[in-house]
Amino acid sequence: MLEAIIEIIIKTAVIMAFPLGALPLIIHVERRGAAFIQKRVGPNRVGPFGLLQPLADVAKFMFKEEVHPSHVRPFFYSAAPLIALVVALLPLACIPIMGPFQFFDRTVYPEVFRSDMGIFFAFAASALGSYGILLAGWASNNKYTMLGALRACAQMVSYELSLSTAVVAMIFIFGTNDIHLMVDWQTGYWFGFIPKWGVFVQPVAAMLFLVGIFAESNRLPFDLAEGESEIVAGYHLEYSSMKFAIFFMAEYVHMIALSALFIIMFFGGYSVLPGLDLIPLSNPFILPLLQVTSLTIKIALMIWFFVWVRWTFPRFRYDQLMNLGWERLLPLGIVNLIITVLFVYFRNQ
Amino acid sequence: MAYDILLTIMTMVFALMVVFSKKTVVAAFSLLMTLLSIAMIYFQLGTVFLAAIQVLVNAGAIAILFVFVMMLINLEQFQNNRERSKSKLIISILTTLIILGVFSLIINNNIEVLSAVNISDNSMKTLFDKLFTEYYLPFEMATVLLLAALVACIVITGSEKGIKQEQEKLQENLNE
Amino acid sequence: MSSIYYYLAGFLFTLGLLGTIFKKDLISILLCLELMMGGVSLLIILFSRSTGLLDAQLLVFFMIIVSACEVAIGLSLIIALHRKKQTIYTDDIKIITE
Repeated sequence: MLEAIIEIIIKTAVIMAFPLGALPLIIHVERRGAAFIQKRVGPNRVGPFGLLQPLADVAKFMFKEEVHPSHVRPFFYSAAPLIALVVALLPLACIPIMGPFQFFDRTVYPEVFRSDMGIFFAFAASALGSYGILLAGWASNNKYTMLGALRACAQMVSYELSLSTAVVAMIFIFGTNDIHLMVDWQTGYWFGFIPKWGVFVQPVAAMLFLVGIFAESNRLPFDLAEGESEIVAGYHLEYSSMKFAIFFMAEYVHMIALSALFIIMFFGGYSVLPGLDLIPLSNPFILPLLQVTSLTIKIALMIWFFVWVRWTFPRFRYDQLMNLGWERLLPLGIVNLIITVLFVYFRNQ
Repeated sequence: MAYDILLTIMTMVFALMVVFSKKTVVAAFSLLMTLLSIAMIYFQLGTVFLAAIQVLVNAGAIAILFVFVMMLINLEQFQNNRERSKSKLIISILTTLIILGVFSLIINNNIEVLSAVNISDNSMKTLFDKLFTEYYLPFEMATVLLLAALVACIVITGSEKGIKQEQEKLQENLNE
Repeated sequence: MSSIYYYLAGFLFTLGLLGTIFKKDLISILLCLELMMGGVSLLIILFSRSTGLLDAQLLVFFMIIVSACEVAIGLSLIIALHRKKQTIYTDDIKIITE
């Protein structure tokens, strides 16, 4: 009993420290990446290459005065940022950062919550993501925040559909809901050099999922929830100092969790990257280490992709967003699902 | 045991808040919390699949629909005028007592049967084998029902005549 | 020792029933209907524990689907009513009795 509790506490600490510790680095990459794409210099004063700039930002956020407007609904106004952060952290509980390994003659599963339908729970938790935004918009008692919250909510609910069709198609291909079995399916090579990743089996589903991630985490081609030119700053208009920072953190954590899910379904999860598997496994601890490294590299590449897209594409108009979601991506997802099901059916005959 | 009592109290408090809160938006968020606590009870009872579905469908979609509609029709103008009358109170207490009395009778008379717990194989595979073989007809009917509901919602709310009427009324209000 | 959940299910059902009867606005009535649905599905799962059959879980699964349809159609009816009459109170729409 005590052993199990200690194990869960360690797992929770690791899985929470992983994204929250990487946050300052991600914000730095975002700023420097923006500067790189726009041919600017970017933050480079604090520390070498400006690496300490995020720490300075955190210090600024902490010591800033907290403006608490008088027209808000106090309880929900304070609760909304926390709900957003907690809900964004929830899907990480089902995501394994390495394979099961032997630790003093007991098999340890690295995810906090182990179930044979882990992927379902991850998506169920991520479906709750719009509540923090909705509460913030409503509690701020302001027309702009309300519009931003309604936009975000409608957008997230619409794109969840095309995202789910992609997930169901991948579940049909893998034939399982268990994340470890999914990763096992994707380990190995075709013809000796192409890694057996899901993206080569289902490129359409990968595309749908990728667009869905951008819409779900309110990132730039779809960040209509905070369209500065129309609704000032959207749902977090009335928030300042640490509460605003918590919304910021929630957005990035949501992004990391969704990219981890994307990598599990389409890029082999924690399976070792081609090239890294040439290292001989002389010690039983080398394989988990390689797996964590591979997953980290993959997530880092995804984050760079997010930054790249953000500073390359202009923002969509709202009706374009809705048309894209309902009239293009959803029918495409359903057709893809039907073809996949027929393919799997005739393969199993 | 303590966990059971804690979950029960939590669910009861949120359920009471659904009925007795002054603002309807607060009631909707309490409903969300009630549904999430029911999902936790499902989890505690060992039906993991239902817990996931409850979170995914009930909490993730239905409660969002409620909040969304409330924000669309600007509920602030409708004050929740709750007039209290003695007859209502008496009827409520009587109904609660009768239903809980019937419940305690049923449970206490069948306590041996009901306290026996045989949880069979509960995994996703057995459940879905059953769903797609024995229950394939209800499953197909459910999909047709969902499609019908989708079409019905679009027809009811998306009619151009209704939208035009609303716009005219808004215009009249603005002119006044 | 989960018999306390039986009383919880009964309580949820009663609360939803009374709310459905006494509430004045349509959205609160729909919320209370959801409460009743929650109580009933909890009771089905509790009763199925003694038999150990999986059918109850599938029944509740279908119930959740039906309740999703019910809420969607109910809310769209409320929106249509609000467009036509600018009200959501049950007292304002008793055209049939007048």
